[in-house]
Amino acid sequence: MELKELFNSSNVKLALGSEEKDDVLLELISLLKLDEKAKEMLFKMLKKRENLGSTGIGKGFAIPHCRSLVVDKLNVAFGRHTKGVDFNSIDGKPANYFFLIVAPPVEISNYYLPVLGKVAQFCKSTDITAKLDKLEKVEDFLALLEEAGN
Amino acid sequence: MQDNQLRLLMFLQDLLMLKKEMEDFQVVEKYEEMGFDLEKKEKIEEAIREVTGQLDAELHHRFQMIANKYDRPLAPVKNGICYGCFVSAPTGSELITQRKDVIEFCNHCGRILYQPGTL
Ligand SMILES: [Zn+2]
Repeated sequence: MELKELFNSSNVKLALGSEEKDDVLLELISLLKLDEKAKEMLFKMLKKRENLGSTGIGKGFAIPHCRSLVVDKLNVAFGRHTKGVDFNSIDGKPANYFFLIVAPPVEISNYYLPVLGKVAQFCKSTDITAKLDKLEKVEDFLALLEEAGN
Repeated sequence: MQDNQLRLLMFLQDLLMLKKEMEDFQVVEKYEEMGFDLEKKEKIEEAIREVTGQLDAELHHRFQMIANKYDRPLAPVKNGICYGCFVSAPTGSELITQRKDVIEFCNHCGRILYQPGTL
């Protein structure tokens, strides 16, 4: 499973508008095709996961993630926040780039941890923040994922 | 807002799943390699207690009985099939909680049933 296969124009938002951690989570969840109740339940689960240790891994990246019964397949979203939002990240710095990853309890293909690993790897690639800052449209982001996958 | 009992059960199952992950040394190591800090992973217990405290006592008892038998006590129903045991027309007994929530159980395997998409 290549990362670029998971993203499209509906689950990528290059100008997140939220100013608080919770609102960023909600804004990311809103990019998923789920009904309102499912979104609400997912938010609560992601919050519980954040309580175990922030998913803000530093250098401007945060990767909120969880498994939940409310989804029946792997769901992802990407958001960029130009100014940055306090996400209680490991390095204490604001987060600008957010990957949301949500998986059902069991998947036949079991993509969850490998996809999380690939995203974490992507976040560590050379000059990645400069490249992410330059993105102007969703297609640029997809191209960047493709480039990173090669 | 008070969630209904079925949603609380779903939340509980999600949390128990997360607890299991946090108890798996190899999984935790993978997360740490990815760069995640799981310093407060024992906080999961607190979350589980919080949700359990909102559950109907009899329903929680039934949940635990099923959890002793199966990893995941809740199963989705899709097209009339229980995705826990894959037997069709699964609805058997039901339990009406004190808050009047109706909880349905699979006739065949006894798992608690939920309909994805109608939460
Ligand atoms: Zn069944």
